[in-house]
Order: sequence, then structure tokens, then C-alpha cells
Amino acid sequence: MVNKRMRLFVLTSMIAMVLLGTAGLSFAEKPTVLAPCKQCHQPEKDLVRGTLVSVSEKFKTINVQVGQKLVWIINYGDDLKITGADKLLSVSKDKEIGIRFTGDEKKPYAVSLTVKPPAKVAPEKLVTADEISKLVAMGPEKGSYLLVDSRPKPRFNEGHIPHAVSLDNTKFDELKDKMLPKEKDRLIIFYCGGVT
Amino acid sequence: MSPESARRAEVAGYTNVKVFHEGIPVWKKAGKLIVSESAALKDLMDKDIAHVLIDLRDAGEAEKSFIPGAVSIPAKDLSVAKDKFPGDKSAPIILYADKLDEEAFKAVRSWGYGNTSLLNGGLASWTKDGGKAEKGKLATIISYVPKPRPGEIAIEEFKAIAEKGSPDKIILDVREADETANGMIKRATNIPESTVKNRLKELPKDKEIITHCATGIRAENVFEDLKEAGFKTRFLNAVIQIDKDGKYEITKK
Repeated sequence: MVNKRMRLFVLTSMIAMVLLGTAGLSFAEKPTVLAPCKQCHQPEKDLVRGTLVSVSEKFKTINVQVGQKLVWIINYGDDLKITGADKLLSVSKDKEIGIRFTGDEKKPYAVSLTVKPPAKVAPEKLVTADEISKLVAMGPEKGSYLLVDSRPKPRFNEGHIPHAVSLDNTKFDELKDKMLPKEKDRLIIFYCGGVT
Repeated sequence: MSPESARRAEVAGYTNVKVFHEGIPVWKKAGKLIVSESAALKDLMDKDIAHVLIDLRDAGEAEKSFIPGAVSIPAKDLSVAKDKFPGDKSAPIILYADKLDEEAFKAVRSWGYGNTSLLNGGLASWTKDGGKAEKGKLATIISYVPKPRPGEIAIEEFKAIAEKGSPDKIILDVREADETANGMIKRATNIPESTVKNRLKELPKDKEIITHCATGIRAENVFEDLKEAGFKTRFLNAVIQIDKDGKYEITKK
């Protein structure tokens, strides 16, 4: 068993070295959080957040992408606790996950894995169609609001709510300064196509 | 999409951010005003997709300059023109005038045409966006011959593949994992739309890939991506509901 673990460790370390390769990072400064995850999550000790690359049942490893050329290879066993999926293999590739591990970063062993849940909106942040209607009747200036359509531009062009502006969610960072108001306390309402 | 944008806006420092989560489907269903842009009308024309374009201005004014293909039905005559409208209630109907004529929209919408919109800015925006205008007599009769969108598979053919399978075709379900968890077509493969571009190598080049989602929108997006990547592909442009046993129901849009 010890031998097997050792061999596995050597192998995974080698893979990790190859993957790390040009990133030029030593293990000691290995990042634990993928950039987009940082919008909501702070780095924590013994916790890796990124997207799932693959699971190897043979080597009992979970590979998690946390940077362009940076993959964490984390061992797991039958004691792995999973939240947000019924089993490890049903988590789809590129899905955002978090893994809490024990051991050091040279030889991490997964304790629990959490799959990012579908986006939920707090009830106090939700608005209804009738509330939107009232604002639309006033217009953005008098109503002092901005209505933003988060769908791709062609969908917006096909048909949108009056006075809405188009800001494709996938181009948010690129276009936000141009499209969003200067006043940070202005009411902004986002909408999209529900479930398509 | 919208909850994610809302969160990003908050990260960017906005303090009064809300979400209309039900979005466009609920807005449309309630019969509320929908505005379309010149770019979408141009797209319908360029792709030769059947649609109905109505000029609501008085005939005399319309004859001076109008959008090609428009049918003249002045707003005041709209209610008596109801019988001229197509039998197919899913027809895209675009109305234009010098202003957003909410009354005209509500009339056509109340007859059951769910894909009605008012063209934002009317003729002025159309020409400003580079659209051509014509002058002279306008058509007064609506002719609407629906054609499938490019790449659309006939519903019957899709069903046949789903029932019996096909040696040279696969069905690709592009819905996300939380949707497929409630049931999938028995012979379908699942790769969510959000991950398709990174997973092209999992798809066969020697088979035709028939995509579907819940309403046809994501299926068409993936169809476009696959076509661009050199795959043989078509998509199901319809509403499909699938239960736990893989039983499904397809409804034309």
C-alpha cells in the first residue's frame, strides 16, 4: 500500500511538474483559486477552487484547473464527501468545483468536494413583470433605472423589453464601463431568457 | 445569465441591483410590449426566413419611402385587417411606424401572434443602420410561407431517429446537467452548450450531429458552432419536454 501510494505520488508529481512547466511556479506559491471564482471566494487554506478537468478512477485522482497552465492533482478515496452531485463521475467537465483537502500541497488528499449550485437570486432582489411595466411606462430617466438584457446581442435584436440596453453576460467585463451608469446607486435590473 | 451579470455588477460596486429572473418568456406570455432592432430584421431578410413586415403609417406617407417587403396596413385599418394575417400564429410579425405604436402591437398580439414586435425607431433607424428603402406602391396582401430555418430538422425525422436510432446520426442534448437530471432521450449524448466548444474532440466527424435543448435556441447556437468547426449537423427547432423515463413531447414553436 505504501509502495503503491509512493508510486502514485511520484507519478502525479511528475504530471504536475509537466503541467506546471512553463508557468514557472514552485509548489510553495501554487495558487488555489481560479480567477473568475475570486469574484465570490477568497483563497482559503487547504481549499482549491477551479474547474474540473478530469477524474481518473484508475489513479484515484481529481484534476482541477486553477490557472491557464496550472492544474491541481488531488488524490481521493471512497471517503470523499460530495455536495451538489450524486457521484463524482456525474460532475461534468469544466464545472466549477471546490475541494477541501488534507496533507500538504505536494500531496493533497481530498476530504470533500462541492459542486457550484445553479445561480439563485435572493428574494429581495427579484422583480416582477408588472414592476418592470411600471418603470417602462416612466422611462429610464424619469424612473431613474437601467434595464439590462444579458442575452447575446442577436437575441436582444430579435425582441427585447422597451428601453432595455444590451449587455451580453459573456462580454460583461469588456462592456460594463460603457454600458452601466456612473452613479453606483442607480437601480439596475438585469433580465435574460429564463431557461431556454 | 442575468443572476451572474447582477453579481458582477455588485462586484463592480453597484449597490441597487435587481433581477427580473423570469425574463423574456414571462414578459412575452403576459402580452407586454416587445421591441426589435433593425439588425434582426436584416438577418431575417438575409437568411430568407419567412416573416411579416407591416408598415402602419398612412398609405400616402408609406409610398414615399418604405422598408422592402413591407405590407401597408395603416394603423387605423388594422382591426379590420385581422383576416389578412397568417394562419400560423408563430409567424414573426414586425410592425413599424414613426413611433412605437403600442396599441397596434397589443391588437396583433391579442390575436395570438406570440412573435410580434415593434421595430425600434421604424424606417428612420432602418435607413440609419444601412438598410435600403424603396418608394412606390406597397403590397397590401400578407403572404407568409414558413420555411424551416437553415439547419432545422423536421420534427418527424427527429422523432424517427430518437425512436429507432440511426447508424450515421447521433442526438446531442446540449442542456445543462441540472436539466438533464430530470430525464434525457434514451439515445442522446449530453454535452452542455457551455462546454461544447472545449469538447469537440468527443464528437464524431463521420456522423451527423442532431442537437436539441429545451426550446431550440441553445440547439441552434451549438449547431452554428459545430457547423463552423466542420461537423455535419442539424438542430431541433422546437420545444421539447422529457421525463425521467425518457418519454418526450415535442411542440412546434
